[in-house]
Amino acid sequence: MTIAADPALAAGARSERRFFLALSLPALVIVGLAAILPILWIIRQSFLTTGGEYTVGNYEKVLSSGLTWSALITTVELSLGTLAFCILLGTPLALALASVRPRVANLLMAFVMLPLWTSILVRTYGWLVLLRRDGLINAALTGSGLTAEPLPLVYNFTGTLIGMVHYMLPLFLLPVYAAMRDIDANLVRASASMGATLGQVIRTVILPLSAGGIFSGSMIVFIYTIGFFITPAVLGGGKVNPLSIRIERTLSTFQDWGSASVLGILLLVLMALVGAMFLVARRLVARNKVGAAHA
Amino acid sequence: MSRLLRISLAAIAVSAAVPVYAQSVTITTAGGDYGNAMKEAMWAPAAKELGYDVREETQSDGLAALKMQVTAGAVTTDIIHLGSPEGAQAAAQSLLEPLDYKIIDPNSVPAGAKSDYCYPFDSYGTVMSWSTKTYGENPPKTWAEFWDVAKFPGRRALRANAQDLIEIALLSDGVAPADVYPTLSTPEGLARAIKRLEAIKPNVSVWWTSGAQSAQLLKDGEADLVVTWNGRAQTVKADGGSVDYTFKGSVIGTDCLGVPKGAPNKEAAMKLIAAMTQPARVAKLTDFIAYGPVNPAGYEGGLIPQDRLKTLATAPENVGTSVFSNADWWVKNGEAAQKAFDEMMGR
Repeated sequence: MTIAADPALAAGARSERRFFLALSLPALVIVGLAAILPILWIIRQSFLTTGGEYTVGNYEKVLSSGLTWSALITTVELSLGTLAFCILLGTPLALALASVRPRVANLLMAFVMLPLWTSILVRTYGWLVLLRRDGLINAALTGSGLTAEPLPLVYNFTGTLIGMVHYMLPLFLLPVYAAMRDIDANLVRASASMGATLGQVIRTVILPLSAGGIFSGSMIVFIYTIGFFITPAVLGGGKVNPLSIRIERTLSTFQDWGSASVLGILLLVLMALVGAMFLVARRLVARNKVGAAHA
Repeated sequence: MSRLLRISLAAIAVSAAVPVYAQSVTITTAGGDYGNAMKEAMWAPAAKELGYDVREETQSDGLAALKMQVTAGAVTTDIIHLGSPEGAQAAAQSLLEPLDYKIIDPNSVPAGAKSDYCYPFDSYGTVMSWSTKTYGENPPKTWAEFWDVAKFPGRRALRANAQDLIEIALLSDGVAPADVYPTLSTPEGLARAIKRLEAIKPNVSVWWTSGAQSAQLLKDGEADLVVTWNGRAQTVKADGGSVDYTFKGSVIGTDCLGVPKGAPNKEAAMKLIAAMTQPARVAKLTDFIAYGPVNPAGYEGGLIPQDRLKTLATAPENVGTSVFSNADWWVKNGEAAQKAFDEMMGR
């Protein structure tokens, strides 16, 4: 407000903005070349026949195919499933990490981060070794007599979900942990001193104050998992076919670049929709919080 | 005099420098054991003979890579290794140069396998393999028995692709090998094959997507009955896996070598294809991997040891009950067949 009142300061602010814009220009150029241009190319491709003429036939073909919609449903099921398990497993873990001494937290954090630094391919095949019929888990289960028959843990939806949750958990954890660590410990003490039980503290103090982190984490998980390919391809046993696998098949079996581009755009639209939903939801939550604080 | 000496020295230097720039050729293979086998048996000795400098690139999906290079106008490879169905598809999309039959001998390939664009050099069978742990001395012997889950209970693994499977489905339904393609060419025939696959679907525990995966499934005992390529089954068997397989009712496919449209070294590529597919070299390939020569001359003169013949799809005694995969049929009907297959998978 005071800046607007003083013309000299306003000019300074403007030139500062220009300076920062100039600083970010190289990054913008790279994003433009590496992200925007290919997307434009894909959009153009989606309107071309294999012969190179313009058509809307690709859209008709893809959108009228039941395979597209079942792939879309599988994609959303996988993403929602992964998100649900990340929230269930990640939130308590973040809470535990945020409440132990910093040195212990750092050590535990290293364990969380270790898998993040391992190649996704290695981790996926690692799960194959653990989960398959004569794998470690089934050998332990049947060996100890807990189950008579090996459980179908892999080459299906379950196996795919396990692999995806394992991959996404650290990425979910980071923003949630950051948000929880920043909660003023005095707030927790204050609520406890006024007789709040542990459950009440978590519900009324910690969760609302870390909601931003949980939202960020959820958005990362959802948007990442929408495009997952390797995990369903390796752990799904041909039975779990999200959009990414549909795209690969359209390309490698049919060489149908037009339809594959349409599927890619569908994926992009799905991501944009989900991203927009998260942003709106976050704004609503923030407003409620402010409202609650004022009340 | 000294000037003449200098000129002649320069001339000698230039002429000596020229052979250093050997003709270079880039070949794209599938890599892995197969790629190495092709290198050791086929193109490395041929390159040495021709004095070529050959560079290898690997691509698990040759056709997609080929299409990318040709449509982008940035062709870097001179020879590409494809499955014959992909070769026929590539030819139909004019992604390949016609083979130069002045350089390559057109009579080295049996009439049924001939192609104007992609030279077939080796063969494999899509075969039935089984765990000897599960079935011992009494495995299923025909595709009809493979489908008989009451008599042969066990977990099946099939490829997540219509190719070869729809032929096998018809064989399992009592169609004679010679009638497979005439039957498939009718809409009812394709529907019949798909229905047959749908019947076995509840007993399929894995739909595999790569040959390596099918070998792993056999090795780990993840599946008891696996439809796979004979080379993969043979490798697992040779490594001591409790696995066996049969060529009875196999669908025989060929792999081929083509020259991408606009390849930088077209003529050298044709010469290298001719040299690397000489009978002795395609016979030598079977030292490394059980893919038998398409050129019948490969089986002559004892180039391949007698005991290996039973591991090769095209060996004279193996061909009887098999169906030769028809690349032209697949180019024409492949998309419809695959779509019907994918819809069956989604049901």
